[in-house]
This record gives sequence, C-alpha cells and structure tokens, in this order.
Amino acid sequence: MFADLKIELPFFKEKTSALIATGFLKGIPSSPGVVIAKALVIQPEIFISANDKVSSGTSSFEIDRLTQAFKDLNLEFKAVVDRIPESNTGAVNILETNLLIINDEFLQKSINAFINDGYTAESAVIREFEKQKVYLLNSRDKILRERATELDHVKTHILSALKQRCLQYNIANDRVLVAQSLTPTDFVNYKEAGALAVVTEAGGIASHVSILARSFETPAVIGVKDATGIIKNNDLVIIDGFTGLVIYNPNDELIAKYQDKIEKIEKHRIALGKLAKEPAVTADGRKIHLMANVDRLDDIDAANLVGAEGIGLVRSESLIINYSTIPGEELQSKWYREIADRIYPNPVTIRAFDIGSDKYVEGMPHAESNPALGFRGIRYLLSRTELFKAQIRSVLRASINKNVRFMLPMVSDTSELVKSLQIIDECKKELSAEQIDFDANMPVGIMIETPSAALMADELAELSDFFSIGTNDLTQYTLAVDRTNELVSDRFDSFNPAVLKLIAMTAEAAARKKIPVGICGELAGHSAATTILIGMGITELSVVPAMVLELKNRIRKMKYSAVKKNTSKLLKLPDSYQILKILEQ
Amino acid sequence: MIIIEKEVTVRNRAGLHTRPAASLVKLSSRFDSEIFLIRDGFMINGKSIIGVMTLAAENGCVLTIRAEGDDAEAAVNEIADLFEQGFGEI
Repeated sequence: MFADLKIELPFFKEKTSALIATGFLKGIPSSPGVVIAKALVIQPEIFISANDKVSSGTSSFEIDRLTQAFKDLNLEFKAVVDRIPESNTGAVNILETNLLIINDEFLQKSINAFINDGYTAESAVIREFEKQKVYLLNSRDKILRERATELDHVKTHILSALKQRCLQYNIANDRVLVAQSLTPTDFVNYKEAGALAVVTEAGGIASHVSILARSFETPAVIGVKDATGIIKNNDLVIIDGFTGLVIYNPNDELIAKYQDKIEKIEKHRIALGKLAKEPAVTADGRKIHLMANVDRLDDIDAANLVGAEGIGLVRSESLIINYSTIPGEELQSKWYREIADRIYPNPVTIRAFDIGSDKYVEGMPHAESNPALGFRGIRYLLSRTELFKAQIRSVLRASINKNVRFMLPMVSDTSELVKSLQIIDECKKELSAEQIDFDANMPVGIMIETPSAALMADELAELSDFFSIGTNDLTQYTLAVDRTNELVSDRFDSFNPAVLKLIAMTAEAAARKKIPVGICGELAGHSAATTILIGMGITELSVVPAMVLELKNRIRKMKYSAVKKNTSKLLKLPDSYQILKILEQ
Repeated sequence: MIIIEKEVTVRNRAGLHTRPAASLVKLSSRFDSEIFLIRDGFMINGKSIIGVMTLAAENGCVLTIRAEGDDAEAAVNEIADLFEQGFGEI
C-alpha cells in the first residue's frame, strides 16, 4: 500500500542531447479520467490597478459602462444556462448563483459609490471585491475561505465584460486547458468547444471548477503550482484525474502506458453499463448508502468507477503492515488526505488502528495466550495515548473538506468511548491552538463487534455519530468460535439467530437515535444476507469494490416493505438452517 | 411598522456557503419587509447575496434574523425554518 501511495517518478538523467525533457507535476485529483492531448495554456489576465482615477465630470460615463457590462453579463450567462441540460443541476446552480452575485443591487451600489469617488469602473470593481473578500478570508472555516475564489471569478467576469472581451473558445477543441483558474462560464464555453480536460493552479476540491468538471465528466487536476508557467502552449500533456499526476512532454513509453490505461478504463466502463450511475434504492424507494471497503489506493479508483457512494471502511492498520514502527502524524495525514481527496465529494470512514490479536505489530508487549480476548483495538490505543493522538490528529487534518468520518474498533463499553472522545477533544484543542484546519464536526462512530456493545447499543448510540457492525468478530464472540481453529471453525455462522438478533438490536437502537448504521464485514456482500440486513433497518453497506454493482442490482430489485415483514418472521426461527432455507429461495 | 427578531443556529455542516446563501436571499426577497442578519454586532442585508456570503457563518454559528415591515413575522418564521432544516443539507 505504501509504495502505491507515493507516486514513483521515473528518474531522468540530464542528457546533453536531450530533445525535450519530460516533466511531472502533482496536483489534487478532482475529477476522474485520463486524457492525452495538447495543452492550451490560458495566460492570466493582465494586472489592472485598483487606483486608476478618471478626470472629474466623467464618472457618469464610467457608471454607464458598468451598467452596460452588467447587462451584457446577464445575456451571456442566460445564453450559457440555456444550453446546459436541466438535468445537470450542479452546473446550473453554480451559474445561477454567480448571476445572483452579479445582480446583487447592494454590490452594484457599492461599486457605483467608488466610481463617484472618482475611480474608473475597473478600479471600482477591484476595490469593492477586495473589500468583500477580506470578510471571507478572515473566516475560521476553510470551505468559506475558499468561497473567496468565487468572488474572484465574478470579478473577472465583470472586468471582462467591461473590456467587451470576446474570448476565442473554439481553439480549445481537443485540448487540455491549463489555466490559473477558470470562471464557470469560461469552463462551460471551453467544454462545449471541445476541451478534453482541465489543469488549474487554483482551487480546492470543493471549488466550482471541480464540481463542474465532475458534472461534465471532464478529467481535472487542480492546485498544480505554476502550471501556466511550466507547461507551454501545444506541449503534449497526460492528465491523470485519478491520481492528480500531470505529465508534460511524455516519452513514448509513458504515452503507451497511459494509452493502455485509457483503454482499460473504457472497457471497464462499457462492461459496467449504466448500473454504476444508478442510485442504490429499493424498488419501493428506500435509499441504501452503498460504499466500498478500501485497503489499497488502487481500490479507490475501482470504487469510483463502480459508483460507490463513498468508502465505508479504510482499515488503517493495513496501511502500516510494511512498517516496522508506526509512522508519525505527517506521513499518516498525507495518506488520509490523499484518500479523502480522491473519493471527494463522497465520504470516507477511517477506522483507527485495530492492532493486536491476529494483527500483530512490533511494540506489542508479548504474545498473548488468547489474543482475540486480549489487548487489541481501542484497549491498545487507549494505553498508547501518543500513538492514538498522532492518528487522531492526522485524521482530523485530513478532514478539512468535511468528508471524513472516524471510527473506533473493538469498543466493548461506554467508558472506552467516553475516554476516546475526550482524547479527540484534546486533539481538536491542540490543532486549534496551532491554527491547523480541520472539520470541527467530524463524525466519530464505533464498530459494534462485541456482544456487550450490541447489548449496550442504546447507550452507545447517545455518544456516537454512527455505528458500523463488524460481523466477523461479532459472530466469533457471540458464538465463542475461533474461526482460525479448524476444530470449531465449521460452527462459525453469521446466520445463527443469536448473531442476527444482536445485529437487529443494534439497528433498532441506531434507528431510535437516528444515527446511520452500516455493515462493512463479509456478511454485507453475502447474497442471502442482503434482504435480511436491509429488512433489519441497516442503512449503509460497504463491500469490496468488485461486489458493489452486484449488490446494487440486488437492492434495486427488492421491496423494503416486503423484506421488513419477512425479517421479523425470520428472526423468530430457531436456527440458521431454517433461516437460510427461506433466504436462499 | 412591525420589527421582529429571532435567533437561529447554522445547522448544515458546510455553513452558509454559496448555495445556502442563494436560497436565503431568494426567500428574503419574496418579502416586502427589510430583512437583516446580525452576527456579533455585524449586520448585513438579507436580500444581498454578497452580504450573506461575507457573513462567513460557519456550522454552529448563532445569528439573529431581524425583519422590519408588515410581513415581518412570516418572514422571520420562514427564514428560521430554512436554517432549522439546514438548507436541505443535513
């Protein structure tokens, strides 16, 4: 996994006779897909001063110019909105909101006031927007600070309209756009003119370019430092919207490699058909959040391709299996951030290290005679506060775009959860004091995988933002069966009514407290189990990416009202043989 | 003239970013009353999207809605509902 996380860049020796040097740039992957094409570099606007004044008596001429610019902009926006299909609500919303800002009469009055003070229309616009931006940039919230870019776009629109600039969009045909940033209307116009992909220097993954790129299925990499300076017009560019890698002047070997990747993606897409884009909803309309489990970075691309609605489980201990000691906060936060960015805007649930038991790592005191009942999961983490805090801090740091959830493993009573929440609060205070951004409301949930946790589900639900049921451990502890022990492993049976009753209790407690309850264990993907799990009220299922579509197909065919009724009957049966007989019909 | 004030909390996780700001302004503009939002003594016009955006009201932040006019009561209640429902983003 670690090797995957770092992007291995081939090392190119400087050759004296080298024709063109291949170069690599890394940005944030904001819309998936791979494109190989020539670059169209859009140079940033020339600098306009905020201090230009007009000679006295000509202010009314400036106000007329501004009024005309606003009229032109309205026509331009309406023309663009009319051309976008209504179903593309993401794009329509963005454009309409931009227009709402342009037509804000308070904004227009404020700009006019600067003009009346003697400034040119351009300088007045810049002054007003700089004034407004300060408010946003002072916000404590990262997403709100990013909105300052939006104001910049509106400013650019107005300045262009004042110049009556007429952009040549058609030159973008079959090109990769490389720009400092793109306004929403520019994006749509270039896209319609045939642009294939987008690279920008500015932007977060919640930015407008990202939303538009995803809604137009245009591969995009954003936040590429100095892209417009480094990449030259007409350079051949490979853009990988899955990994955030931008390669300019690629050699033949790289071109062949990425052409191969493009073909594979295309084949995959055709094979999956339409199902990947359909929602996971039962025939009678109950929404199930269908997500994918991820243990390696490659799984994220697979999860995105099959249309998983997020990552239901990242087993963080699987990230460290090749390490002799547990890596520190910096490295960990990089991994979590990369995962969160690549699945954005969908959510990812990162489970704290479940170390101990069969998952032995260095630093464990000694082999235990009964590791499954021993020093593992949250018990281990609470005894190693420094290690636990480093992980909490790195997950919090990765949560800035508000799509990260944190989950605690092997909780067996409320005190463990209370202690963990206190430590999480401490970490939040530390980060705030260090002025490091994070999502202050990052959901914290727990695994329900011990019978004691299932029995105390109501009390635990008071303190949790969500539950996730670990069916393998729950089965092993409930039935007192070690499934690695051949002598008893045939008794390991998740359809045993005792196990099912505990799952049902957990689901009911979650429903009472209105928190999501999911299953991320093997049982979630079991063909016979889907109906009974959904019938119990489970709202989230997370399986390996390869299983997502099959499961979605099953969900779309079932009726929640019917399986709910059936489930209450099944839970009254005395053994798994009779339960399975009905389920497998 | 009727003047009504009511406290509300920003409940949607992403805060009053552009989309909620747009819904708020569209709703406010339907009323004849003057609508204001007040945060820490800082007051903006509820019919101005740039005003609402620059309030930079994040999740959990408490605001006062103030309406002045004949339909002030309906305005305050409907706007408070919008906050309560988290702008459909909860």
